[in-house]
Amino acid sequence: MPAERRSLRSNNKSDTSSSANDEKTNSNSQSSSVKDKASATRAAANKAKSASTKKDANGASNDSMGEHDQSHTNGSKSTDNSVNGSEDVEMGEDTAGAPTSSSNTSKDRKSNEKMTVVVPPTKGSRSSANDKEEDVTMEGVEDGDVENTEPEVDPRTKAIQDIKSNFTLLERAVAHFDPRFTLRVLRSISSMRKHLTPEVLAEVIVETYSASSSTASFLLEALGQVNAFENAPASSQMEVDSDKKPIPKETLAEVDAYLSILVQIYLFDQREIQKGAQFSTSLIERLRALNRRTLDSLAARVYFYYSLFFEQIAPLPPSPAAAVTTIRQPLLAALRTAVLRKDVDTQATVMTLLLRNYLSTSHISQADLLISHNPFPVAASNNQIARYMFYLGRIRAIQLQYTEAHSHLIGATRKSPASQVARGFYQASHKLLVVVELLMGDIPDRAVFRQPALERAMHPYLLLSQAVSVADLDAFLNIVNTHSETFRKDGTYTLILRLRQNVIKTGIRMMSLSYSRISLRDICLRLGLDSEESAEYIVAKAIRDGVIEATLDHEHGFMKSKEVGDIYATREPGEAFHERIRACLALHDESVKAMRFPMNQHRLELKSAQEARERERELAKEIQEGDMDDEDAGGDFDAI
Amino acid sequence: MSNLQSLVSELHAAIERKQFDVANELLSRSKRALLMQNALIPTSSTPPQFVVLARQVLELGAIASIRQTDAQLFTRYYQQLQPFYDLERHAGLPGQSSSDIDFSTSQRSKITGLYLLLLLSMGDSAMFHTVLEGLVEEASLKGGRVEDDACIKYPVELERNLMEGSYDKVWRETKSERVPSEDFGLFSNVLVGTIRNEIAGCSEKAYPSLPISNAKNLLFLDSEGAVIEFAKERGWILRDGRIYFPVEPEATARSEKDILVASGTVIENALGYARELETIV
Repeated sequence: MPAERRSLRSNNKSDTSSSANDEKTNSNSQSSSVKDKASATRAAANKAKSASTKKDANGASNDSMGEHDQSHTNGSKSTDNSVNGSEDVEMGEDTAGAPTSSSNTSKDRKSNEKMTVVVPPTKGSRSSANDKEEDVTMEGVEDGDVENTEPEVDPRTKAIQDIKSNFTLLERAVAHFDPRFTLRVLRSISSMRKHLTPEVLAEVIVETYSASSSTASFLLEALGQVNAFENAPASSQMEVDSDKKPIPKETLAEVDAYLSILVQIYLFDQREIQKGAQFSTSLIERLRALNRRTLDSLAARVYFYYSLFFEQIAPLPPSPAAAVTTIRQPLLAALRTAVLRKDVDTQATVMTLLLRNYLSTSHISQADLLISHNPFPVAASNNQIARYMFYLGRIRAIQLQYTEAHSHLIGATRKSPASQVARGFYQASHKLLVVVELLMGDIPDRAVFRQPALERAMHPYLLLSQAVSVADLDAFLNIVNTHSETFRKDGTYTLILRLRQNVIKTGIRMMSLSYSRISLRDICLRLGLDSEESAEYIVAKAIRDGVIEATLDHEHGFMKSKEVGDIYATREPGEAFHERIRACLALHDESVKAMRFPMNQHRLELKSAQEARERERELAKEIQEGDMDDEDAGGDFDAI
Repeated sequence: MSNLQSLVSELHAAIERKQFDVANELLSRSKRALLMQNALIPTSSTPPQFVVLARQVLELGAIASIRQTDAQLFTRYYQQLQPFYDLERHAGLPGQSSSDIDFSTSQRSKITGLYLLLLLSMGDSAMFHTVLEGLVEEASLKGGRVEDDACIKYPVELERNLMEGSYDKVWRETKSERVPSEDFGLFSNVLVGTIRNEIAGCSEKAYPSLPISNAKNLLFLDSEGAVIEFAKERGWILRDGRIYFPVEPEATARSEKDILVASGTVIENALGYARELETIV
């Protein structure tokens, strides 16, 4: 029972932590009174400070006092502690639940960066997780995913712990020059964002930076916690006392970026869009000056939130004067720098952002130009490729290049993570795919509509494809009218309007298959066309386009179907077969390419190879000796 | 300012009188004047009167160029007008405070309609749909439909009928007084030529033979003489008052060659599979 064991272990842990807490808070409450006094004196001494800040400082310190008191009482009653703790977590979940649910329904499909990259834990990291500290980090990351089962840990301290443990990961990423550690840090954000509060962030910042650091004041300003250094020495100084922790050393640019991303997320979750946009703009200014490869994936994330903020500022996107248009220039500049620096992450992210930006104001030709002038990096992360393919598919569908659009959208749907979190993207790409398939004259697979993730969202599209497949023009128009709101919202309305001719074509094909000869009048009646003349032209066009095999007789006014030939006599089946084999081979090739091998494995192999060679030599030696014996024996034998 | 205004009114008159040489000269003068005022591209600091004037000049230029059937020049004017129309699009959205730019004199729908028609007559349907997509989005934001605008509706319906194959409807649209304004009529001849070629192409495949009198109706030609001329142009055979469409002669001969080609590719493919399998196993 792993779950039980886990809870047991966590109980133990919480016990120890609570007792530790107890001690800490005791010492805290003692020291805090001293501290309070100290801060007050300091505030008094600092005459330059305005009265309001002084007041703030006092208020905040009082707050922290209150908190300490509370934790103190919690600590003394350990039974209460667990109850309180669980309540805390529940509250945290509530607040976190609100933004995610709203973003599910909102048009912005990927607003909260819900795609998660599944990178299998590597051997290297597992084997290196021997020392205790790293064990803790691992646990911290895992805890993020399953924390619902462990309600005893105070989310606040845990969040701080998580953030700090991520610092070590970042440091390791820089030391080993391995982007996978950075990716893991980024992945843990989604579980952490529930617990982000200005206090948590401020505390981390205070403990990470020295008070004079410009980065720290920059971040704190964005959080509205300018006085964190004056308020919070309580904890940091205490730690200096207890842990003998040295004064914060020079922080890495990666850590700066990581903390700024957390601030961005916090501002976004709090809907402080204006503030977030300002913060992001100046943040990007800072990041652009740095040229570090280990910073790339973090910078890409910064750009992502940067664009997200501007999308929410009025005037909103469909208007050509929308706020998003103002960030095109910086994004293009970022793209240029990213390409020059061979910064694949930022390049891919910025490109998808630009496409999204252009499409939101329906500047389709600009988007098309962007694509034609910029190759998309092949090594981009899966999610970015999926997004890129989705936008590309959309552009191509608008430009009537259905075959191309189809292949791109297939790629997007396949690459889209099918998990709960990226459902919006999954649905949107499927909707577009279904419409494009219909436009190509195919009927989408029924199974597509039966997937639980798609069933409800795709219902109008199911009706639509049913109408097209039975070639019922009236029903088709009816569906378009009743669901036009949905279609407009999905951005598929214009594409669907183009379907009318497909409905007619399908109808003609069905009639051509079922009747060997049918009068134009009947065709006209069945398809609900305006006149026989139209019907004649339409059928003639269908014949030319190769939809049906038939001839027309103008004088007698009928359509005569030709005998359908045996399809197996043509090259069609062979081509289809070839196509599939090629797809399989390409899949094989790609999976071979995608395999990852641990960095130093070949040395181990070399070692074992050396051993093997030695063994072989020994064996050879033995055999040689044996040969002698054999020869001897053979000689004997011969002699006999 | 007043200088520009008089230029615009002169320009208007010149175009009305169809004096295109004068109009072209006036256009270059007024564009120069606009450039001096830095008003050829609207910015947030451009005074609204200049925005209106600049738009008028460019619109008149667009109309003059379409009347001189200069498609390239028209396209250029259309592109130059886009920033002005973007301002209008923005102001037209619900919830936007009305700006002080006067949009009442804007001929946006007409110019856009003409541009759509131009794209249609050139057969550039990708661009056509790209432009249309933006229009539809805008219209649906206002809660309306793109077809509410007569100038836009015309090319949209034409395109729909063309794609569907209802050529008789296209014919009727271009002929009658349904054309929203005389400038749209300029494209009628091009369009009729397009559909005639389309119909001819379809007929070749669809009919084994056709009486000349029927062909006259089908192809929207005025007389049987015109039919005969048209048939000769396309290389159709005329016999006993009927048109016989040339059957593709290589239908039988091709199959022979086809098999050879097909077997070649089959062998090639099979060898390819074998090679790939070898590398895998």
